[in-house]
Amino acid sequence: MTTSGPRVFDPYAPGTQPVVPIPGYLQSRLRNPSEAPLARALTLSERTGPVWLASKVAQGENNLAFLKPGVQALGSLTHVSGHVRDEDGRPVRGAMIEVWQCNAAGKYAHEADQRDAPLDPNFRGGGRVLTDDSGRYEFLTIKPAAYPVPDTNHWWRPPHIHFSIHGDGIMSRLVTQMYFPGEPLNARCLILNSVPDAGARERLVARFVAPVDAPVDSSRGALAFSHDLVIRGRQQTPFTG
Amino acid sequence: MANLTSSGERLVPTAYHTIGPFFPSAFIGALDHDLTRTAADGRQAAGTKIRLTGSVFQEGGAVLPNTIIELWQADANGCFAHPADPRHAQADPHFAGWGRVRSDRDGRYEFLTVTPGTYAEGGRERAPHLDLFVFASGIMARLVTVVFFEGDARNQADPVLASVPAGRRAGLLARRAGEVDGMQVHRFDIVLNGTGETPFFID
Repeated sequence: MTTSGPRVFDPYAPGTQPVVPIPGYLQSRLRNPSEAPLARALTLSERTGPVWLASKVAQGENNLAFLKPGVQALGSLTHVSGHVRDEDGRPVRGAMIEVWQCNAAGKYAHEADQRDAPLDPNFRGGGRVLTDDSGRYEFLTIKPAAYPVPDTNHWWRPPHIHFSIHGDGIMSRLVTQMYFPGEPLNARCLILNSVPDAGARERLVARFVAPVDAPVDSSRGALAFSHDLVIRGRQQTPFTG
Repeated sequence: MANLTSSGERLVPTAYHTIGPFFPSAFIGALDHDLTRTAADGRQAAGTKIRLTGSVFQEGGAVLPNTIIELWQADANGCFAHPADPRHAQADPHFAGWGRVRSDRDGRYEFLTVTPGTYAEGGRERAPHLDLFVFASGIMARLVTVVFFEGDARNQADPVLASVPAGRRAGLLARRAGEVDGMQVHRFDIVLNGTGETPFFID
């Protein structure tokens, strides 16, 4: 995790981030401020961030689908890989990525999920991985199911995987979700469609690559998807006179 | 390479989404609330050990459980263990700097940390402060706030606090709330929406 010069963190471009509150999503009204956010000077607190988080990540934690060798979680094996880059397109190395998702029955292994659906004892539900020197990450999981959101008017979440990324400073932090291509619920999801810019929404949808041999067990097939992410931050523009 | 616009152009940062209600407990480590130790060894960070605690409230004043709160701050000498800090070589190796907690059933959170030191920025001294980041189901992009310490004489000259409208500055002050185990408790409530709303900053 190295930087070669001072980093610049511009505010997000209009339209490329969610707009709140979201009609039909009560919690977005109850929990987002009514006042506009305040401008402030960025100082050293914002140009820095923890550089030791890699120590949290255990080997093999990016395999959510096999808690024991040979015993696969229920569902379609799914391999997700991609690159994490900054706004200049430079690879972000050693970034900690946390992913979590529901199982093939649409159930999260979390006490807050009170929906009547079965847990899968062979599915981990969350894992962590570091990006390599080219900014690449990968993990093996099963395809999450769609599920209805409680207490809403027929809102279903499309299949999605949560991503949390810690880059090389706190201004590069990103928490987002990845969607699957071709899902009819994508066009109806209140959360995905809270991002006004069509290109920004499309970049939240993974690209289908091909059926492949599963990385940890070549006797099994997996569906491979590619998903790139961009975290905030660029190098200072050089002075050109 | 769907994210690449074209050679030489800036890439657009990926859109934020809510953290949702199901952030795994396994991602919140046993020491993540305690910045005064690092996992590498059990030695204590230098400085004055304090507790930062408070409750999270949503619109209507109801407490909010299951909020994920992240903290980032300087060590007791105002140093950050990060290459962007010119003084990073002096940073306290026993101070974690970063922490993460989840608010409990009563909406309460608590960190153990040390009183942050100060540093100069563009010739002006930053008052002791902590950066807090708030994530919850329904919060679509993290909320960013800065906590100062009530009664600290250096607050007057802090460039960030000075840029906040005077009537809202009190919402950024942690208040003294007694001692526990010999540590000063600083209370900072996070009001997401409504009366007494916490000032949040552009991310």
